[in-house]
Amino acid sequence: MTQDVEMKEQQAAPSNSLSSTSPSTLQHLKDIAALIETGAYTREVRRIVRAIRWTIQLRKKLNASVLSAFLNFSLVPGSEVHSRLSSYVPKEDEQDMEVDTATSATQAPAKHSLPELEIYSYLLVLIFLIDQKRYNEHCTSKDLNRRTVDVLASRLYFYYSLSYELTGDLAETRGTLLALHRTATLRHDELGQETLLNLLLRNYLHYNLYDQAEKLRSKAPRFEAHSNQQANLMTLLELFYVNQLHSSLHFCRYLFYLGKIRTIQLEYTDAKESLLQAARKAPVSALGFRIQCNKWAVIVRLLLGEIPERTVFMQKGMEKALRPYFELTNAVRIGDLELFKTVAEKFASTFSSDRTNNLIVRLRHNVIRTGLRNISISYSRISLADVAKKLRLDSANPVADAESIVSKAIRDGAIDATLDHTNGWMVSKETGDIYSTNEPQIAFNSRIAFCLNMHNEAVRALRFPPNSHKEKESAEKEERDNSKSKSLQNI
Amino acid sequence: MDPKLTEVSQVFERFKAAFVRKDFDTCTSLLSQLKVLLTGFKSLPPLFEETPNAIHELTLARDIYEHAVVLSVKTEDQDAFERDFFQLKPYYTDSRGRLPPSPQEYPILGLNLLRLLVQNRIAEFHTELELLSPSALDNPCIKHAVELEQSFMEGAYNRVLSARQTVPHETYVYFMDLLAKTVRDEIAGCSEKAYDSLSLNDARQMLLFSSDKELLEYINEEHPEWEIKNGSVFFQRAKESVPCKEIPSLQLINQTLSYARELERIV
Repeated sequence: MTQDVEMKEQQAAPSNSLSSTSPSTLQHLKDIAALIETGAYTREVRRIVRAIRWTIQLRKKLNASVLSAFLNFSLVPGSEVHSRLSSYVPKEDEQDMEVDTATSATQAPAKHSLPELEIYSYLLVLIFLIDQKRYNEHCTSKDLNRRTVDVLASRLYFYYSLSYELTGDLAETRGTLLALHRTATLRHDELGQETLLNLLLRNYLHYNLYDQAEKLRSKAPRFEAHSNQQANLMTLLELFYVNQLHSSLHFCRYLFYLGKIRTIQLEYTDAKESLLQAARKAPVSALGFRIQCNKWAVIVRLLLGEIPERTVFMQKGMEKALRPYFELTNAVRIGDLELFKTVAEKFASTFSSDRTNNLIVRLRHNVIRTGLRNISISYSRISLADVAKKLRLDSANPVADAESIVSKAIRDGAIDATLDHTNGWMVSKETGDIYSTNEPQIAFNSRIAFCLNMHNEAVRALRFPPNSHKEKESAEKEERDNSKSKSLQNI
Repeated sequence: MDPKLTEVSQVFERFKAAFVRKDFDTCTSLLSQLKVLLTGFKSLPPLFEETPNAIHELTLARDIYEHAVVLSVKTEDQDAFERDFFQLKPYYTDSRGRLPPSPQEYPILGLNLLRLLVQNRIAEFHTELELLSPSALDNPCIKHAVELEQSFMEGAYNRVLSARQTVPHETYVYFMDLLAKTVRDEIAGCSEKAYDSLSLNDARQMLLFSSDKELLEYINEEHPEWEIKNGSVFFQRAKESVPCKEIPSLQLINQTLSYARELERIV
């Protein structure tokens, strides 16, 4: 109840000033509705995409009176949907209502019962409820098999999941989302599939269910990577652009989730690739998302034994958020276990809210390795007791620890040295002249191959997708011919 | 009380009695009976139907599977452990809100972590770890496994071995013994690369054998390429990258030709 009171107070103040603006907002909404209608009749997805973008711009101006007026306008009064949706919108002062009904009555044509409009109304109400922080009132919608609905529906799924996430019981939606994903797959509703797959992955990762997330991801239909390259290259075709941009954003999110899963499962090389790609492809405005990507990418690179460049931490708007990770990188770079511990403790709350705590625990091993490498480079011979002291190993038997740690590092190829057990020494080997081996030649070759491959892929991405309209049409024709000939045979 | 429930409880009582007597054969046969009986309850995963006895049935089933896991450790059957653990897991994850937490939960989760470590399934180890809350990580049983993994990764093997003395639960000993074997193989692999030679005495201490005879047997079986001379073990050093004396001409020609072909395509 208190919520309701608060809300009315909020609206009481602006309602006067809004009286002039609200008809225009309503007018905008009606324009959008008209746009959706034409889109639905002419089957042009592009129009609906534009309608949604327009709606997001109007989002701040939405209020109860405009919304209820719009509901009256778009839905058949007295119908089931209308009464259900109106019950979510709080009743306004009578005066306001009169004004609005008057305007809508003059303009509203008789009856609308387009499914697109219905879904759109659901979407509006849901957005409105989220903005009003009334997360507890979820409304769900029925589903329809029409291409033009896909765009609207995918937005609806998104807000549906968001509303549950904000109330903190995301787990409840899992069953619904899985069912929807199945339907979307059956109907070849690509946008719906992408949205729902991302929502499901987010859902699983929210509860750290990496195992389930990976199982779903590996079995779900694959994202079409090429469609996303086209988004960047085929800017001339507006229709393509609008459509693919959406899927490119989805692809971005998907890459981020994929990177996270792979990090947990210790596939660092792949994880790094996905995370860096996600960070690069994300739009400039999505700062929060890019920060998250960068945080994870920094850790993965550290785990791989790489040291991220300073420029990564100095990106515009990210300096502050990446500060803990910068200090962490510093500790790993120096190979100082003590410093690493203090940094980890100092920013423990940040790391645990980023859920990177466990990854940072894994880093301890890398810190030791770096420290060991530094020692091995600086000394040609050093006693194991000194190694233990320099690494600041604090355990019951530091020398024995140091010995086995060094021997493992030697086996893993991290340092080039030998151990002398009787004297308790570590003897570093002279680094040979690398240019006397085939090594540089191999490295040079792999780089050239990478560049040539990149060029080839860029050329391929400029071409039309393999299943372009022509092929489809010809396939349909063949099918028709086949069925004709069959029916002829039957006769 | 539901007759089915009574039956399960009775069988379970007999199971527990046999368990205390350490009569594991009887336990195994009773357990398969119990598992079949449990399939009759609709309140259990995956259905989770709301029946009047749901809480009671869930608690009982959880108890049974917990015993099953411990039994599989006692009979040293790792496959059975994995099966029973996966059957038990939904009781910990999906019915958390409905059941009071089990005192056995953390010991069993820690045991599972240890199993993954022994089987060298590190990726799954970390996946399981992510599911645990920060408070769970402070639990001695979980902490034990986590620290073991760290020492294992670092190469501080003597820390792994000394952890055997500080096991938080008696069931852990079985896996710790298995782990000791893994650790010995690791140490052997590392020493091979790190040392030129070791005296037999040092090698015996390092590989944790009590007598020279055991050491010699181990070397004969696992590493016949090691040489024993003058009371020391000499390791055959792996061949190092030798400076290249002649130019691999055929390979170079191939590469250069492919560059030319690619460049032609671009121009």
